Amino acid sequence: MIRQLRSETAKVTTTTTIVGLLAALAGLVVLAIVVHTYALPDERLAAGDGQRELLTDIGISLGGLFAALIGALSITAEFRTGTIRPTVLATPRRARVIAAKALVSAGTGALAVIVSVVTASVAAQVTLSIRGLASTPTAGDYVELLAGGAIAGGLLGVIGLAVGAIIRAQVPTFVALFIWLLFIENVLVELPDAHRFVPGALAQGITGLNREGVLQDVWPAALLLCVYAAGALLVSVDATRRRDIA
Amino acid sequence: MSAPVAEVEGLTKSFGGVPAVDHLSFALHGGEIAGFLGPNGAGKSTTLRLLLGLAAPTSGTARVFGRRYADLDEPTRSVGAVLEFADFHPNRTGRNHVRVLALSSGIDEHRVAEVLELVDLSAVADRKVGGYSLGMRQRLGLATALLGDPKLLILDEPINGLDPAGVHWLRAFLRRFADGGGAVLVSSHVLAEVEQSVDRVLIINQGRLLADQSMTEIARDGGSLEQTYLAITQAVAL
Ligand SMILES: Nc1ncnc2c1ncn2[C@@H]1O[C@H](COP(=O)(O)OP(=O)(O)OP(=O)(O)O)[C@@H](O)[C@H]1O
Ligand SMILES: [Mg+2]
Repeated sequence: MIRQLRSETAKVTTTTTIVGLLAALAGLVVLAIVVHTYALPDERLAAGDGQRELLTDIGISLGGLFAALIGALSITAEFRTGTIRPTVLATPRRARVIAAKALVSAGTGALAVIVSVVTASVAAQVTLSIRGLASTPTAGDYVELLAGGAIAGGLLGVIGLAVGAIIRAQVPTFVALFIWLLFIENVLVELPDAHRFVPGALAQGITGLNREGVLQDVWPAALLLCVYAAGALLVSVDATRRRDIA
Repeated sequence: MSAPVAEVEGLTKSFGGVPAVDHLSFALHGGEIAGFLGPNGAGKSTTLRLLLGLAAPTSGTARVFGRRYADLDEPTRSVGAVLEFADFHPNRTGRNHVRVLALSSGIDEHRVAEVLELVDLSAVADRKVGGYSLGMRQRLGLATALLGDPKLLILDEPINGLDPAGVHWLRAFLRRFADGGGAVLVSSHVLAEVEQSVDRVLIINQGRLLADQSMTEIARDGGSLEQTYLAITQAVAL
């Protein structure tokens, strides 16, 4: 298992894919923050938790999406390029391959959300000060965003990997993740009782976002997202063992 | 005779009810180089994938060293394989491709450099595989197959794209490998090359074994491998 973990870590660090994706994420976050800090009215940004909510909506949500995409990529890229064949020839116990990928995807997922939150925070500081508004989040807010975001990103990374291992094809996997996280979860906002249990909302809940349609208890939210990740992972291990590799 | 290194018995694999491999049986022993021949779509690659545990048989068994591939403790130290497609991430260097696989088998860096040198890729090992030529990719595939110093090589059309020097090198390499007790199962369509490099041929069509003959037998019958092959495969087609 340690060997496989080393191999999976080396896979991530020996291509430039992840650096490119994190750079794209940071760019998107800056763009979103700049647009929002210019467009939102003063009273939304100056009062109460307005700025913190903005950091959650952009930093956690975009970071979480990329965490899932990077997790998915760790397996779909192997199917796309064919490296899955030498991978399972070297490690025919396929559950071990998925387990090692899950650990690495948790790490890259946490990293994605951290990059996203840090970028969002810095960009917000700069644009708010240009606009002449004071920064309102406290040190405690940042700790919650970063620590909660890392946990949420790790779990979303595992979920992304599981979806990728089940679907296998890269584009359909990405489309599925986009449709779920960007479309279905947004539609469900209208049904707060259901929305609070979807992965994206749980990710926000883990960072302590206080809003209708988001589970407001950090630990139950984390636990439920853990259950989703574990469930998805089990299904993906079973599917990977059962099916042929073309 | 010693226990077979690779053995398939009644091996059958169907796709959507259509058999690609159909009750195939043969055994391969140490010291032997067997050519695996047959028309396009005959079921060669499928058989090799079944032997390597990439696909599960519909019925029958495929074993290497007496076990299913997936049950081998250190598979890369027993079996090396080059499959029909070039399986590389274009964005990774050749050296890193080999290293990633070495790490998962617990094989050290020293051996990575050694196999790259063996297939004559040291000079380009730090370039991205996306820029490799067909033959360079084929050599890289061989490097990964040799990584664990295996006793059985399973090669699916390995000379595809190799230059004459590469073909010559591979022929000599496989001979030394077999002389050292190793076994080779190699599929190919290049009969002139097969004729020079194998001890025995297995000819299949539509997933079924048509012939299993030593090269000595074929030579004794007076024909070339090509004549024998065409006679056997066309007799079935008619
Ligand atoms: N994953 C798959 N799904 C459906 N059919 C398949 C699959 N893999 C192989 N086949 C079919 O099985 C048959 C045997 O294919 P295989 O690739 O084993 O042939 P081959 O002998 O290697 O041919 P070639 O000389 O062209 O490489 C073909 O009819 C092929 O279409
Ligand atoms: Mg083939």
